[in-house]
Amino acid sequence: MGKVTIDWKQYDATASWDELVTPAGRARSGAGSLLRVLSRLTDDELTERQAAAELAIRSMGITFTVYSGEDATGIDRAWPFDIVPRLIRKREWDQISRGLTQRVRALNAFIDDVYHHQRALRDGVVPTRYVRHSKEFRQRCVGIAPPHGVWAHVCGTDLVRDSEGALYVLEDNLRVPSGVSYMLENRAVMKRVFPELFDDYVIHPVDDYPQRLAACLRSLAPWSQGSPRVVVLTPGIHNSAYFEHAYLASVMGADLVEGADLMVGKDDRVYMKTITGRVRVDVIYRRIDDLFLDPSVFNPSSVLGAPGLMRAWQAGKVALANAPGCGVADDKVIYTFVPDLVRYYLSEEPILANVPSYRCVEKESRDYVLDNLDKLVVKPANESGGYGMLMGPKASLKERNAFARAVRANPRNYMAQPMLNLSSAPTLVGPPGSGQRMQPRHLDLRPFILSGAETYVTMGGLTRVAMRKGSMVVNSSQGGGSKDTWVVDLDP
Amino acid sequence: MKHSLLSSAAERLYWLGRHTERAENTARLIMVNAGLLMEMPARLALGWRPLIDITGTAKLFDSLYSEATERNVCRFLTCDGRHPASITSAITATRENARTVRETMPRVTFEYINDLHDFAHSELTPNLSRVKRRAALDGLSLRVQRLEGFLSQNMLHDAPWQFLRLGNRIERADMTTRIIDVRTADLLPPGHDLAPFQEIQWRSVLISLFARQSYHATISALVQRPLVLDFLLSNPDLPRSYAYCLQAIRRGVQALPRNAKPLSACNRALRDLQAVNVGKLKGASLHRFIDNCQTRLGELHAAMRETWFRGG
Repeated sequence: MGKVTIDWKQYDATASWDELVTPAGRARSGAGSLLRVLSRLTDDELTERQAAAELAIRSMGITFTVYSGEDATGIDRAWPFDIVPRLIRKREWDQISRGLTQRVRALNAFIDDVYHHQRALRDGVVPTRYVRHSKEFRQRCVGIAPPHGVWAHVCGTDLVRDSEGALYVLEDNLRVPSGVSYMLENRAVMKRVFPELFDDYVIHPVDDYPQRLAACLRSLAPWSQGSPRVVVLTPGIHNSAYFEHAYLASVMGADLVEGADLMVGKDDRVYMKTITGRVRVDVIYRRIDDLFLDPSVFNPSSVLGAPGLMRAWQAGKVALANAPGCGVADDKVIYTFVPDLVRYYLSEEPILANVPSYRCVEKESRDYVLDNLDKLVVKPANESGGYGMLMGPKASLKERNAFARAVRANPRNYMAQPMLNLSSAPTLVGPPGSGQRMQPRHLDLRPFILSGAETYVTMGGLTRVAMRKGSMVVNSSQGGGSKDTWVVDLDP
Repeated sequence: MKHSLLSSAAERLYWLGRHTERAENTARLIMVNAGLLMEMPARLALGWRPLIDITGTAKLFDSLYSEATERNVCRFLTCDGRHPASITSAITATRENARTVRETMPRVTFEYINDLHDFAHSELTPNLSRVKRRAALDGLSLRVQRLEGFLSQNMLHDAPWQFLRLGNRIERADMTTRIIDVRTADLLPPGHDLAPFQEIQWRSVLISLFARQSYHATISALVQRPLVLDFLLSNPDLPRSYAYCLQAIRRGVQALPRNAKPLSACNRALRDLQAVNVGKLKGASLHRFIDNCQTRLGELHAAMRETWFRGG
């Protein structure tokens, strides 16, 4: 059995649109040499490579933290990784990249508008009530003018394909999106365990991201003289994304701080406590939620932020990335308006499509949603991480009834979409040693978009994969894995 | 030098240095004690209790175990999660600290620390046979030294490194004085019929501090009390001597900003050492001197905390 190699004819790529294999079991354009290399490996060799990847991940200390019920400290887990990369042709990626840039420009224009003239609301593009009732709208941000008019400096936009291979935007994560460090580490692991795969392809590098992020953050500094001091503000070691906070600080050469390391002076400037005394901070890449930033303004019991931080930001003495209040556009109901916002602010047709969506606050849509709960995915406006959703086709009657009540009680808080049959890619599954198999698993893609003085889109992004058969849940906190994502040049 | 190291990071680096040093010292204490017991007559009954005294953990140990047997003491010192300074606890603390300051150290360092952590937790288990225990402690010691060697050769010798080293040296100075205190209190009265074995015990003190070969290279006389004491406390070239550690701490302190208070605490400790002829110290006067060393190290730690770790 050790001699068995992959027979792609046995690989069933008919249940969904597969990224590498056609329904007839042939390689998709560009995937040929990748599948050939994989086919030459025996089962044992594949298992060995997967084990080598897992060992590299453990020894490199690539972890994420999961919370377990009452245990508030969480457990540090090795990052789940699958050795088969996902391919995207450069020509397609360039188009996606333009679409992402366009989308984030419109989102930033919208946030800036919400906190200033509210033109889009007055012109009826987005009904005022949607913004007024948004949990993420911050009255304190009204009238603030962050540098370059940009509020969402780091955006992670989730992309999916349906069963026809068509690409959609699933959601825009504008608050504190995470995952980019895993995109970088996945490539590093891949180079370690599968160097020969790199011979056959021109794969665009991803590792300029930290320097681009650093440049983006520096471009926000309130003062132009000297070299601005940038810090990464983390909630601390028990946060699920702590690895990423430390990683990014490290590769950017920024200080990794917690709230207790910061203080705001009477001069409204922000300082960090160092061995030489107080040192001025110019830009804070904050990885904590708005409501924890400043206990003197928001949540008084928060120990994660620093008292006075909002005052310093409002006075223009420090830059916060992302800007407080930018979550107003990270709302699954506002999401449904993004194509309209692109047309309104940029006078352009949207390059990327939204998944068709129903706003439960509109009676006609709501009635449709309530009549078709068994066919739809219903999402609350402000949750993240895949929590609080109803997956209609997989839910019990009891769960659907509970959701129907919740939707009727607070329709503003919900939107619904058809259940997409996400695209898949070959993934090594099964218990190690006893014949792991290559099977299709569903996946999505999270590219990251930086906006400051300039805009930058990652080359590809983080591919997340649902490791359970048939599952569409890709979140690492819920059993998701990941793959290296290759943007490859195939077109001369 | 990057003079803007966060106070909290400085403190974590300092403890990282202390914890790795503590783990390695504990490993060597156990290895040396096992070697010593093989050579000593049973009726001297040195046993394993001295290791509890050296590490200053009698209260906790007695609350957890009824008897200072080899098995109990080794378990307590190597892998007892209830003991915050056991080897596995110290290595866990090292890793936690390393996670919070990993951006201040070369990236590969974290792989070494992970490896050290995984090794300690998988190899150091209760009830190891002597052979396996020895191999595990050797492996641990090797990994700590690889980590320290790597840092010393590859990390910028700026403020983060200085704090690592300060933690290292203070822990080492502390351990050296503790070993001397306990091992000298054990010794036999002159003229006792087992007096010939006294030399073995002094030799073990040297071995505990990795100083036996250095002693013979430096001093062309048999192993004897005044010379050993002087060598371990005052020799300026022996890396584990109290004097060497203090001088190294002094250089580290001088390389850091705003160093007035820690520097004067360090100078006080050095003056006290220079003021006595340590070779002549005996019984109660030696014990008083060691107590004074411990007090001075405590003051030094407090001065560092006040100056650098509190911030603001």
